[in-house]
Amino acid sequence: MQIIAKNLSFTYGKQTKAVSVKALNNVNLTIEEGDFFGIIGHTGSGKSTFVQHLNGLIRVNGKEGELRVGEFDLADKKCDLKTLRSKVGMVFQYPEYQLFAETVFEDVAFGLKSFNKDISQSEIELRVAEAITTVGLNYQRIKDKSPFELSGGQKRRVAIAGVIVSRPEVLVLDEPAAGLDPVGKREFLNLLKRLHSSFVKTIIIVSHDMNIISEYCNKVAVFNRGEIALVGTPQEVFADQNKIKELGLEFPLTARLKLALKNKGVEVGGDLTVEGFVTALSKLKEEGKL
Amino acid sequence: MREVTFGQYFPSNSFVHKMNASIKILIVIAYIVAVFSVKQFHFLGFGICLAFVITVTAVAKVPFLKVLKSLKAIIFFIVFSAVLQLFFNKSGTPLWEGGFITDEGLKSAIFVSVKVSLVVLGASILTLTTSPIELADGIEVLLYPLKIVRFPVHEFALIMSIALRFIPTLMEETDRIIKAQKARGADFDSGNLFKRAKALIPVLIPLLVSSFRSADELADAMDARCYAGSKNRTKFKKSVITWRDLIGLIITAGLVVAVVYCNGFYIFPAVFL
Repeated sequence: MQIIAKNLSFTYGKQTKAVSVKALNNVNLTIEEGDFFGIIGHTGSGKSTFVQHLNGLIRVNGKEGELRVGEFDLADKKCDLKTLRSKVGMVFQYPEYQLFAETVFEDVAFGLKSFNKDISQSEIELRVAEAITTVGLNYQRIKDKSPFELSGGQKRRVAIAGVIVSRPEVLVLDEPAAGLDPVGKREFLNLLKRLHSSFVKTIIIVSHDMNIISEYCNKVAVFNRGEIALVGTPQEVFADQNKIKELGLEFPLTARLKLALKNKGVEVGGDLTVEGFVTALSKLKEEGKL
Repeated sequence: MREVTFGQYFPSNSFVHKMNASIKILIVIAYIVAVFSVKQFHFLGFGICLAFVITVTAVAKVPFLKVLKSLKAIIFFIVFSAVLQLFFNKSGTPLWEGGFITDEGLKSAIFVSVKVSLVVLGASILTLTTSPIELADGIEVLLYPLKIVRFPVHEFALIMSIALRFIPTLMEETDRIIKAQKARGADFDSGNLFKRAKALIPVLIPLLVSSFRSADELADAMDARCYAGSKNRTKFKKSVITWRDLIGLIITAGLVVAVVYCNGFYIFPAVFL
């Protein structure tokens, strides 16, 4: 599903004019199907507000722009939110805090049951098993456990399983790696990569971690004060050094290395992934320029 | 939910804001007693109380609309009690031939509504001009006498201020969990009452879990800073009484006297009406 936002604006607390905050201001953005899309920007830049529009948690006011997600017109009051939400999965920060059911099975099945009132029990079992296996957990061993007795990493996986169980085509994740240790983080991101090559076609990830963005995303949008300041591939975005500094953002490690090398007179090409950087560097060595 | 003013501090630097919280609580209690002691149908007494509220609001530099908004929270209660008075007060003469609404009923419906509204207006000025922490400190000071009967005053005040402190946090958390469950297809707005109540389970359980977590974290944080209850604990903000509080008390005394005077020196029976 292609996502197109046109002149999208949003103001919090519109009724109480005194405390209203303009969170989005004329946002124009297109996210293609198949993108691994990164959204960055410092706190309060409007990125969370934007992604919450994508599954109708925040509604588009008809006069404040357009938003289309696939065939869904979000500005339309009669938009079928339930179907939309089954197609656009959303994982919030610390998703493990949303677990509530008595067993892991019940919790993962929750979304499935609420999207699909007359789904058969055998279908539910099939889909839940699929989702739990996809997030890298042992279905038989974990399905009857209480979600509250799992470890932090397992809880988060179960929570993600509860979102992907409805086989969303678009998966939106708000700061998904927060609070995970380095190993957990890497495993988690590999899980996202795996998902991206399955039924999830588009992944949108909001993060403060520039290394994640440069390593995994093919496109990045930078939000600043409710507007889009930069958009493009990680390479393009982080190439504009002054702008990035001005926006108060960090550089990914690879970009910093490239910059440092450039200052020493070594120009390294390639993209900003670790692999791309290493390939470019070894190529330089082969050419005898190092 | 966030539109309700009741219990929302409106920061400013006014005379009323600078007053001692304990004194303000006492004044509000005196004011409420004054409102309740207004004799049946002596609307002049209400006029005096209203004048008092308006004056205090003006001095406190709080927008009148903010104060009025506090009524929103209890509008149902006001309407409900007014309707009860309208339909079930059988004394007096019917307003029209064979009607079931009497003039007494109408009068007492208005009387009750005004009475309740005035009480809430007064109380909301207190919460608008006094931060929750000051309020808890103020109550603590007022409860000191209970120490004689070994009542844990300090702990009680601490419980209150923690509860107040966590209201916004819990609201935020609720908002977040509702959104997360909505994203998973939860439906809070359709179905009958039973279904809707059941739909809240996925919100209430994570909320309960997270409040226990917050409580644990807070306890650890307090422990880490060697909190050990009231023993030998000094106050950062001492409760001091200034000329402002004296002026406030004098004006309030004037209010009470004026109301009692309006009642024809008749105070107590009406308190229980």
